[in-house]
Amino acid sequence: MGIGAQYIDHIVIASNDSAATAKHFSETFDFPIKRTFARPGTGAHMEFAKLDEVVLEFAGPGTVQPYDEVKARMGGFVVAVEDIEKAVAAVRAAGFPCGDPHPAVQPGAKIAGVKSGTGGVPFAFIQYNALPIEEAKA
Amino acid sequence: MLSKVHHVGIVVKSADEAMKFYRDALGLKVTADRVIEDQGVRGVLLAIGNSEIELLEPIRADTGVARFLETRGEGMHHICFESDDCAKDLDAAAGKGIELIDKVPRPGLAGMIGFLHPKSNHGVLIEYATPVHEGH
Repeated sequence: MGIGAQYIDHIVIASNDSAATAKHFSETFDFPIKRTFARPGTGAHMEFAKLDEVVLEFAGPGTVQPYDEVKARMGGFVVAVEDIEKAVAAVRAAGFPCGDPHPAVQPGAKIAGVKSGTGGVPFAFIQYNALPIEEAKA
Repeated sequence: MLSKVHHVGIVVKSADEAMKFYRDALGLKVTADRVIEDQGVRGVLLAIGNSEIELLEPIRADTGVARFLETRGEGMHHICFESDDCAKDLDAAAGKGIELIDKVPRPGLAGMIGFLHPKSNHGVLIEYATPVHEGH
């Protein structure tokens, strides 16, 4: 019996220069960067590309130092679920510690991280349309 | 042409142990589970949406996967993009100056596969795979 896992929503690629890594991936693998985002408060910088249903999220610091070498690594992945409260309850019942669902960066979405048992992978669930989205101001 | 993320590869100490989460807790279906002798690994594929999760457990100490586990511990190992023509896409990558680990495709768990060297991709190991039959 599954927990309603639907698909890999996004894979995080952490880089010391996310814009450079995103540009390299875009040019090498022929997919466009769809969106860039600076996280309010932290200044963390992100670029997003999408290949079929999976988003590649390139994440890095807001201020890029003059690095000799751009270095990136895979920073985990996030699985979309139908009902995040049920998913969290189910994995906890199976013995895997999981954080409480909380609002995600994505508007209207909630996210919860699984803390161990994932094979060393930072892993989280995300549910879209879990929260009311505030009306965008004109 | 690269069409989707075929799978994410995860190096684990024990595929059986990792399947307690991915198969048993998440309820993902195992689509392949076999030992690949020449690579020195047991590979397990689990379907999720249009992609898969690949668990890689080293069965010998003299392999890249075993060295990865020894030096970095368990964790994400590579991203695999599905290609409709692995050989052509490997050639295209080489034409862009990307160093290849596999200059020609070879059989793997996901079909005909080829790896690109991580040092050409900011440290990220990339695999191309052309499935040899319909489905994942």
